Amino acid sequence: MKQVPQKDAPLKLNESGTWIREDVSYEVNEPDAYALEEALRQREKHKGEVVVITSGPARAQQVLREALAKGADRAIHLEDPKFVGLDAFNTAKAFAAAIKDETFDLIFTGLQSDDYGYAQTGVILAELLGLPHATIIMQIEKTESGIRVKRELEAGYFQFVDMPTPAVLTIQSGINKLRYATLIGIKQAKNKPLRKVALADVQTAIGENLQKIERLYVPQKTKKTEHIEGSPGEIAKKLVDKLRNEVRVL
Amino acid sequence: MADTILVVVEQREGKLNRVSWETITAGQAIARATGWALEAAVVGASGASIAAEVAAKKVARVYAIESPKLEPYTPDSFADALKQFLGSRQPQLVLMPHTYQVRDSVPKLATAMGRSVISDCVGFKYESGKLVFTRQMFQGKLAADVSFTSAAPWFATFQNGAFRGDKAEAGASATPVETVKVEIADGVIRNKPQEVFKEAKQAVDLTQAEIIVAVGRGIKEQKNIEIAKQLADALGGELAASRPICDSGWLPMDRQIGSSGQTVAPKLYLALGISGAIQHLVGMKGSRAIIAVNKDSEAPIFEIADYAIVGNLFDIVPPLIEEVKKAKAGS
Amino acid sequence: MLIFRKPVEGIERPQMPADVVIAGGGPAGMACALRLAQLIDAHNAAHPDSQLSKENIYVLEKAREIGQHCLSGALLDPRSMRELLPGFEKEAPLDAEVTKEAVYFLTKKGKFKLPITPPFLRDHGNYVISLNRFVKWMGSKVEETGITIFTGFAGSELLYDGDRVTGVRTDDKGVDKEGHPKSNFEPGYDLQAKVVILAEGPRGSLTKQLVSKFNLDKDANPQTYGVGVKELWEVPAGRIAAGEVIYTMGWPLTTKEYGGAWIYGSKDNVVSLGFVTGLDYADPRLDPQRVLQEFKRHPFVAKLLEGGKMNRYGAKSMPYGGWWAIPPVAGNGWMILGDSAGFLNSARLKGIHLAIKSGMLAAETAFDALIKDDPSAATLGGFQKKVESSWIKEELWKVRNLHQGFAHGMYSGMFHTGLQMITGGRGLRNRYPAKAGYEHMRKLSDLPADGGGEAHLLGPAKGDGKLTFDKLTDLYHSGTKHEEDQPSHLVIHDTNICNTRCVKEFGSPCQNFCPANVYEMVDDASQPNGKRISLNPSNCVHCKTCDIADPYQIITWVPPEGGGGPNYDGM
Repeated sequence: MKQVPQKDAPLKLNESGTWIREDVSYEVNEPDAYALEEALRQREKHKGEVVVITSGPARAQQVLREALAKGADRAIHLEDPKFVGLDAFNTAKAFAAAIKDETFDLIFTGLQSDDYGYAQTGVILAELLGLPHATIIMQIEKTESGIRVKRELEAGYFQFVDMPTPAVLTIQSGINKLRYATLIGIKQAKNKPLRKVALADVQTAIGENLQKIERLYVPQKTKKTEHIEGSPGEIAKKLVDKLRNEVRVL
Repeated sequence: MADTILVVVEQREGKLNRVSWETITAGQAIARATGWALEAAVVGASGASIAAEVAAKKVARVYAIESPKLEPYTPDSFADALKQFLGSRQPQLVLMPHTYQVRDSVPKLATAMGRSVISDCVGFKYESGKLVFTRQMFQGKLAADVSFTSAAPWFATFQNGAFRGDKAEAGASATPVETVKVEIADGVIRNKPQEVFKEAKQAVDLTQAEIIVAVGRGIKEQKNIEIAKQLADALGGELAASRPICDSGWLPMDRQIGSSGQTVAPKLYLALGISGAIQHLVGMKGSRAIIAVNKDSEAPIFEIADYAIVGNLFDIVPPLIEEVKKAKAGS
Repeated sequence: MLIFRKPVEGIERPQMPADVVIAGGGPAGMACALRLAQLIDAHNAAHPDSQLSKENIYVLEKAREIGQHCLSGALLDPRSMRELLPGFEKEAPLDAEVTKEAVYFLTKKGKFKLPITPPFLRDHGNYVISLNRFVKWMGSKVEETGITIFTGFAGSELLYDGDRVTGVRTDDKGVDKEGHPKSNFEPGYDLQAKVVILAEGPRGSLTKQLVSKFNLDKDANPQTYGVGVKELWEVPAGRIAAGEVIYTMGWPLTTKEYGGAWIYGSKDNVVSLGFVTGLDYADPRLDPQRVLQEFKRHPFVAKLLEGGKMNRYGAKSMPYGGWWAIPPVAGNGWMILGDSAGFLNSARLKGIHLAIKSGMLAAETAFDALIKDDPSAATLGGFQKKVESSWIKEELWKVRNLHQGFAHGMYSGMFHTGLQMITGGRGLRNRYPAKAGYEHMRKLSDLPADGGGEAHLLGPAKGDGKLTFDKLTDLYHSGTKHEEDQPSHLVIHDTNICNTRCVKEFGSPCQNFCPANVYEMVDDASQPNGKRISLNPSNCVHCKTCDIADPYQIITWVPPEGGGGPNYDGM
């Protein structure tokens, strides 16, 4: 799960113009909340344990606490502000290192993050762990040989895929109603295990970033508004002309 | 294959996915800027016919990377086939369109090769010998220029619509096509995909629509939404609305655009009778072309519109529907 | 069809026992929790064989995050914080120490600086703070003690047993617009608590229920309120110093309205500015958000803000009634703190330090109750006595008649204030009476059609988009978000009054006094006057102005589903 700046938070650039200033409010990445919801539902159907993991500074713990309050069983926090600066490849490597002594049947991530929007971490993790994966999953059913998932494709197409487990799945958003944490859940969350992993513990697994954000900036729009005038009939003709030749939708 | 750009076109069910032309255009643009060679590849069970289509464009070479195990698509087979090919050729840059299939496979491919992907790019810059890719972040609020700090091959995917597919330059003559057969070992493919099928989606996904016709308070009454729908149908687009329309129940909530609804960036956004309160603007100002029709010349929507029509939408929309229909009928 | 929020009936609710439930995680609630933890820890250290637990002490906070609904100027008088946490200045987020104060009287284009700052407006020794950030910090200290703060949970109603308050019911989650449970429905919990402490801020909804049920206000003056509309700006360097405090009176208000503005310089070139309008004005067309925009157009303010950027917007009501408007603050199983009780010094325009002090005193009483295992009025009444013998009373006694003195306009108000200053707050008599604010509102038929001298305050602001803003644009900067599919939490008891009477008599003032565009009259041919009340509940910034100012008193604000509301980051 990932902690991201709140959707409507006013963002300010840091001094070097390579990232945002972190004095904003944060929240859980909404697609990850759907991944958690799906995990909790699978546990309700098939029993087992739901573990949540995140990487980031101390503030990211909030995401884990909320997940535990909703019913996750235990949490793993790769805690260090430097985790924020890792690229997707290194982040996945850090996760892989943190869970190397565990065996999971299913690993879920959200579709993509609301801040980066890369949609890569889950797929990279699958490759690092040597596990099969599928993306943009709407439904998961247990089968004799593993699982059958419903994958969303473009333009209203879907596909069922049979896969063995263990497997990594990225979950589509909006497939379920998210549950609320209850008061009891929040109280119980305080006593659930939360393992901290330091940057030093995974340092050997990660390397230099393979990418770099050279510059982050507010996109400038050079827009000139063209007024279209005349009688309604004339306007219609001029507009269609624009639609055909300039906007290119006809 | 150093100093070469490889565009991997996408095939679906034996046919070329048309968004691939945009990637070719992108590749050609980068090739012009950097001086690198441009090549293309199609990956599939039998890519001959698609390769021929691609060969008509201005590319130095076309490869048909083939294996019977590539049909149907699975990330395992796709990544394995390309890894073998790229392992031996080592292009500088590999480009693909940011489709669901590419999202499913390219991060795996790059990771297997110890490389990384810059995904969902909207453009590129080449300055002082450095190539950077531009992409949107924080849901379009900020833009980032990202560079690679690793060795080749570099992987980048382009957002749907970032480049114009119709601007892909044709070649002077058909490019030679080289067929490359790859062997995919047993046990590589772990997923078993079934037939692809279509389902009427329950909720409309406006973020996928290329054309959106949106109505606001100016539509006055629920029954008037009909003419907006006709316009949307004529254009082949989707109907959407600003908040008050959905709050009144005139259109379902999944048609709402704005800070409490969807954020969209289609090719064309037609705003009818929408004033342009900031809550609505944040949901659509990333649209590539914005046409606004409003009686009030001071409506804030005109500040972000590309084409402004100050007038009564009830006078303007009916003739517009006619003209659109005429244009589509093939004049 | 408008469906209004009410607790779902006929269902079983989870029960959770508690020792103390504090409804509200603002400065009063947090101070109470902190002090209670201190007392329990001290007790436990001295009595290893009879330990008290903190496990069953809860703070309920309706916002998604601590401090998210806290809004104030603000200036903190450190007196009570120093008692609560000596040395707190070293770790608390204080933005600037006040270095300069000035009070101006504004006319349309000019300004007069008062040669002497009245003693009650002198702020040396106080701090400019962001209440949101300050409460966040207090919250972190509370969490360190082991007391649980439930964020995203509102107290929707009190539980009673005869004349005892026995607990708090939290909000039902996952109820759709029609009032039906959704698939993720979670019923509110019944927190069965020995002691319930109400620290909900101004015009608390549970407090309103309690006061009404037990007629607590029968001997007190009706509480009167103002609404503060605030914007947080970033201005070019050098315009105002950090720690510079400016108050203004006069323009854009006339002598008939009560109110004024504040401008505080904070660190990093941030300016907190806002306008407080007393909710006892006469013309129902008056729009407090418009008043703020007009204020900014004054050359003095416009110059200060030129080239700056508005970052946040918000609004909140505040209780002006003073000492005589405070109801009994303790009873069988309950206590009321802070702004909910009315502990605000309307002369100094400060209440945070009093809220904190009231929290501390309530904690001491609650501790007594836990030790004696007696949460009845006999023990909790100790809170009332503590307040009356503390510096809270001392401070509020001196200004007990201040707001009432302005009942007939500015000049008589200033006369009475002057008199009160030299008579220890008495003025002409020990207790000035008061009328509830909404009773001052006049019908349109009694007012000039064009608004007369108040015309520039009436109706919505248009905004130029740079210095001034229309309400919707301002609202966007409040970061307000709610679950959309839920019943309206603005409960209107008879919408027919809106559509038939109010629209004619008062012209639907809800459209004007609400700083968040929640209320709208939309065209409806089926209505006798062609208009119908329509609500946008998800715009609500939880200021409570509607509950206070509606002339028919048919609006009851209840908490929406927990987690929703404004996002007052940095405010």
